[in-house]
Amino acid sequence: MKKNIKITPEGMRDYLFKECTAVNYVCRKLKKVFENHQFHQVITPALEFYDLFSNEASGISPESMYKTVDNSGRLIAVRPDSTLPIARLVSTRLQKEAFPVRLYYNQSVYQNNPTLTGRNNEILQMGVELIGSTGKRADLEIITTAVQSLQAVTEDFRLEIGHSMIFNALMRELSADDGTKERIEEYIENKNYSALGDILDSLEQNETVKAIRKLPSLFGGEEVFENAEKIIKSREALDALSYLKELLSSLSTLGLGDKITVDLGLVQKNDYYSGIVFSGFVPGYGDAILSGGRYDNLFDMFGCPMGAAGFAIYINYIAEKARYKSKGNVADVLIFAKEDKDIMSAIAYTEELVSSGVKAQFCVLSDEAQARDFANRLGIKKFEVVGG
Amino acid sequence: MKPLRIALTKGRLEKSTVELFENLGYNCDEIHNKGRKLIMNVGDGQFEVVLAKAADVITYVEHGVCDLGVVGKDTILENGTSFYELLDLGFGKCRFALAVKKGYNFYHGYGAKTIATKYPNVTRKFFEGKGMDVRVIKIEGSVELAPLVGLADGIVDIVETGSTLKANNLEVIETVTDISARLIANTASLKLRKKEVEDLVILISNEKH
Repeated sequence: MKKNIKITPEGMRDYLFKECTAVNYVCRKLKKVFENHQFHQVITPALEFYDLFSNEASGISPESMYKTVDNSGRLIAVRPDSTLPIARLVSTRLQKEAFPVRLYYNQSVYQNNPTLTGRNNEILQMGVELIGSTGKRADLEIITTAVQSLQAVTEDFRLEIGHSMIFNALMRELSADDGTKERIEEYIENKNYSALGDILDSLEQNETVKAIRKLPSLFGGEEVFENAEKIIKSREALDALSYLKELLSSLSTLGLGDKITVDLGLVQKNDYYSGIVFSGFVPGYGDAILSGGRYDNLFDMFGCPMGAAGFAIYINYIAEKARYKSKGNVADVLIFAKEDKDIMSAIAYTEELVSSGVKAQFCVLSDEAQARDFANRLGIKKFEVVGG
Repeated sequence: MKPLRIALTKGRLEKSTVELFENLGYNCDEIHNKGRKLIMNVGDGQFEVVLAKAADVITYVEHGVCDLGVVGKDTILENGTSFYELLDLGFGKCRFALAVKKGYNFYHGYGAKTIATKYPNVTRKFFEGKGMDVRVIKIEGSVELAPLVGLADGIVDIVETGSTLKANNLEVIETVTDISARLIANTASLKLRKKEVEDLVILISNEKH
């Protein structure tokens, strides 16, 4: 017998019954929010050329991609992200569209995580992209959509908002060689704050180093702005800071209080995001379940620069929690055909019941004792025999 | 309110952490009389403590099933990826060092060197920083044996007093990095329970000084 036919590759899993109901439930809720905001669905292929994701700005490491080759020997990647394929799609196929365009997707992405960490490598994801616009209106629309999405699928959440220009401006001011800067970026993106502290220790201590060191701890409410203004000197970073402050005060009209907070240490895919960035958290899960931001520079690589912002929600965990609330779908009545000649009338009778709103199921077993046992095991309360 | 769940590294760090908690006035009786219990209450229902092997402390915290953890910097350097390091707790002090047979000139010659260690990631990073391409062999038990029997040119290991090295005719030729116990926090926990975590951090920092 072949060794691997009974197991799935690491990080992959099956979804059964209630698990599917839960996934569908979450997807339906999000779809409603997205469509209410006039986002339109697109589906992109699971396989794309590796080149699309290998750009440094993509923030996707080569090790984390599943790769294969096509029949011309060209390198193919199994979609690790949906935003880049959508950017490709927009810049090649929607040139004549009225911008901004609003797109949403509901498709899995694949990441080859380090072995034995218990993470999903197939990540069910839904997200939106608002492409062809910049500025406060677009930022607020995208954040509001994110908030409503979280509200639709979770009871409690935190949405943290930051701005990538704060970190970027500090990094430009930092006097260190490129290798060191790259490592600082990597550590802060991976939230590896211990390694970050170590590498900062090795540099000459000045205002900029101090500010970078403080950055990860600058999160919370209004008080963050005060604390940040004390340590940040860069003009550009201060502009970003006051823009954030403006957004937060607009968002306060949503009446969500401390559910929306600031996080200046929120740095993700640093070459990719160019403005606001945000992450959503829910109790009981150790990582962000929503992440997004503004990525105005991404379209440069396709030769049609334009502003864009979006976010993705990771469905797996939300669905896992929703599962416990969902009721399974069990039939109320099992219809059994006594003899072969009764089959068609039993099927017709089942159809009749179903269209009148009864959860009926035609039994495909031919032995009555077996059929009754089957109904018992499934918990189907009523057993009806046709013919005989 | 749910108690904050803290993962403690079993053994020496556990003792020092319990001492620290008791100095802060939290009741640790359940840890002293744990028997076969795996989850213990500390204080007045503020904390729940679990005991785990060092590397597992990081795993529990990264997955968010524990909010906080107490673990050595050695383990963080070897296994750490994504969490906040909040505090240097100041106990569990030792260092990572490169040691060789006494009198052996490690940097002599152009041949690639072989290093035996329990900490392959730390070792690789250390030599990468020097621009040196070395062969790393992972050893599970007493690393000191490797250079003695000729498997490796040197070892990278934790050194406390250095007496094991001395007894085996080995000597430290370089410190890789200093080590002590750290308080770490899950990223989401820190966001969702900021106030409680920060209060504890302030209490501990005040106690230390």
